[in-house]
Amino acid sequence: MFIEGRELTYKHNIPVTKVEKYWKGLEEGKIYGTECKNCGAKYSPPQADCSVCYSSDMEWIEISGEGEVVCMTEQYSFPAGFEFLNEPYVIAVAKFGDFKVIGWTKEKVFVGDKVVAETEKDETGVWKVYFKKV
Amino acid sequence: MRVGVIGVGCTKFGVLERTIQELAFEAVKEAVEDAGVSREDIDISVVGTSNTRGYELMPAVPINEYCGFAGKGPIRVEAACATGSAALYTAYSSIVSGMADIAIAIGVEKMTEVTTPTSLAVGGRSGSYLWEFHQYGTTFPGYYAMHASAHMAKYGTSPEQLAMVAVKNHKNAAKNPKAHFPKEITLEKAVASRYVAYPLKLFDCCPISDGASAVVLASENKIKELGKEAVWIEGIGFSSDTANVAKRGDYSGLKATVEASKMAYKMAGIEDPLKSLDVACLHDCFTIAEIMAYEDLGFCKKGEGGKFVEEGRSDFGGDIPVNTFGGLKAKGHPLGATGLAMIYEAVKQLREEAGELQVDLKNYKALTHNIGGTGHFGWVFILGV
Repeated sequence: MFIEGRELTYKHNIPVTKVEKYWKGLEEGKIYGTECKNCGAKYSPPQADCSVCYSSDMEWIEISGEGEVVCMTEQYSFPAGFEFLNEPYVIAVAKFGDFKVIGWTKEKVFVGDKVVAETEKDETGVWKVYFKKV
Repeated sequence: MRVGVIGVGCTKFGVLERTIQELAFEAVKEAVEDAGVSREDIDISVVGTSNTRGYELMPAVPINEYCGFAGKGPIRVEAACATGSAALYTAYSSIVSGMADIAIAIGVEKMTEVTTPTSLAVGGRSGSYLWEFHQYGTTFPGYYAMHASAHMAKYGTSPEQLAMVAVKNHKNAAKNPKAHFPKEITLEKAVASRYVAYPLKLFDCCPISDGASAVVLASENKIKELGKEAVWIEGIGFSSDTANVAKRGDYSGLKATVEASKMAYKMAGIEDPLKSLDVACLHDCFTIAEIMAYEDLGFCKKGEGGKFVEEGRSDFGGDIPVNTFGGLKAKGHPLGATGLAMIYEAVKQLREEAGELQVDLKNYKALTHNIGGTGHFGWVFILGV
């Protein structure tokens, strides 16, 4: 025998103030990482504070050019929150120089493929990175 | 000070109509009876559960009360899928510190009270919500699939080799009545199954299981005083890695496994694991995970994990039988319970109580390898008698 629990919905307000440039950048087609001005550590996704030397003096670096896919998957099972998708979706990580970036792709890509990164808003209003094969 | 395992308990894994405390009770009762001590003799309890799917948001106290330990702890620990190992370490440390003579580590997880999409989302949120799940809908099959894509591209590991891990582990689970899926599968069926997260298919993935396990530990002095036989904890290693997948250096292995195993081998004085160990429980939440673990633990060279399973080197009669009770793949993977279920299996093997699944013992040493996330946490224990 089972009884049904009471429903509880979490809808978090996430503070992105310290990395606002990243989220605003996506709306302008730009992808940013950060580099620590003190020790040179590079971060993608960006961090406002350096985990290596504890400095908070960071420089924003635009990640652009041609990248190479280092790993990928095509998701056939949809997690809660992604019911709006009707088709399996590809997630890949691509390397652009010193930075690695995670993104979706509109076509299937494989490890070793050369890609460029663009940004776009999905059906739920979330901006994200999309890789396009070169 | 040496610390030994004096009691182990483990429930059947599967879709179980029990609350989290009822489930924990079954494992605790078996472990305490196996230890031959009374409940009152236990000084402290450690409750390991990630419990991100459960309705009881802070379950340590309800579990502790139901198991009769109110007033004795509990310390709650969480390390994703490696929670059971973190619980064992905490119980071990409480004894080494001198604060306890006898401690119990309880690992439990209720995963089947929510829908599969909810379960996938909860798992996917456990890497890095803001930078990965929020934007990209990452899931844990997806994270391991990414590693599989890199391993296959770099070393030519084949879908058939992945499936061979599942076939082996199901064959072992068929003889384990506590397994979630106690049945054999064929290579053809595994290879032909549908994709969950390319390149991983349904039979490359562990099930979503409920289950509990418990381990009673005691100090060497206490063990002597009680006149008991123990299985000793001879080596411990732990490590971790970045939350963000984009911040990892390489995707064809888990650095946390490499680092944790080095630490554990050093503590246990092991130079060549294949020569020193009789049996191993590896974290095979997905088939690629077992293949990467052979390599990262030094059972074979990097890139040769596919061949290792294909040549039967991880099967009974091979170099080192791996996941003799069916592994996470077929026995099931209730997150908090898994690490301690590995200790249960290793202890049963070392005491020669594994029945049909008993391995031949030469050195009387076993290894457990428990990963949280995709190497977000890594734990290795060496047990011996």
